Amino acid sequence: MSRHSAINRFGRSTNPAFSRGFDSTSYEASMGEKMTLDGAVNKTGILLALCFSGAVIGWNIPALIWPGAIVGFILAMVTIFRNPAKAGSTAPLYALAQGTFLGGITLMYESAFDGIAIQAIGLTFGILASLLMCYKSGLIKPTENFKLMVVAGIGGIFLLYLVSFIMSFFGSGISLLSPTDGSLMSIGLSLGIVCFASLSLVLDFDFIEEGADKGMPKHMEWYGAFSLMVTLIWLYLEILRLLAKMRSR
Amino acid sequence: MNTIIFGALAIISLFIFFNLGKVKASRKQLDRSNRINRFGNQEPNNIIEGEAKEISEDDDQKNS
Repeated sequence: MSRHSAINRFGRSTNPAFSRGFDSTSYEASMGEKMTLDGAVNKTGILLALCFSGAVIGWNIPALIWPGAIVGFILAMVTIFRNPAKAGSTAPLYALAQGTFLGGITLMYESAFDGIAIQAIGLTFGILASLLMCYKSGLIKPTENFKLMVVAGIGGIFLLYLVSFIMSFFGSGISLLSPTDGSLMSIGLSLGIVCFASLSLVLDFDFIEEGADKGMPKHMEWYGAFSLMVTLIWLYLEILRLLAKMRSR
Repeated sequence: MNTIIFGALAIISLFIFFNLGKVKASRKQLDRSNRINRFGNQEPNNIIEGEAKEISEDDDQKNS
């Protein structure tokens, strides 16, 4: 006999509102499954693998550069502003689409500057690992002021990108952003952008660490991995541009 | 040579990321009062405060 007196007296409810999606397994899943560091790192691995697969496609079919960039941008906006909880389905597609874009862009840089791609890949992952070590050891401590500084810097950089993008419609642009501008000022600007992209990796590590620490829902693992991918892709593109500027001198 | 050096750097860095990423950060990093508070100070909400009373089958039968 059941120990729950209400069930003994009235029987089990047949109301679909109580039975649909609220059985014991889904209840345990919603209450039990929490974000973990292991899960976030594994999902970052999945996204990196998808990005590499997309890059192979983009490298072989360069016509997919712009479709990949546009689809990737739309998926990123959907994930960030519409529904972060659905990052599990949008983030893999984002990684694949951005991969095709990166593959095509890398081919363009590689045909102009031999061996630049492997240098950019090595430096990107090198920065990722070294900053992770600095973060885990407590050498770099992200605080509210740190976040404010990074967000303000990123805001300024994106304003610069936006002005350059609008100017490109009128046949001009900001020469400092051009990969063929090898002036010291231009290289300095690229170095600054690489620094801000690197520092925003620290914010991503802290987001994942805090989410796992506070037991956020499982889907936040995908969101953490997605935000890490966005930063890594930005960092890779900026390192490519910086190396191209240095080779153009 | 360029490919070997930077390729090795990428592989070693990924190895570090996949191993170190799964390790919890140091106490120096986690036990700080000035951490960024993204999710708010959430206490576990499945704990109900108050007195607990054990219900036995005998009590159930007495009431009925």
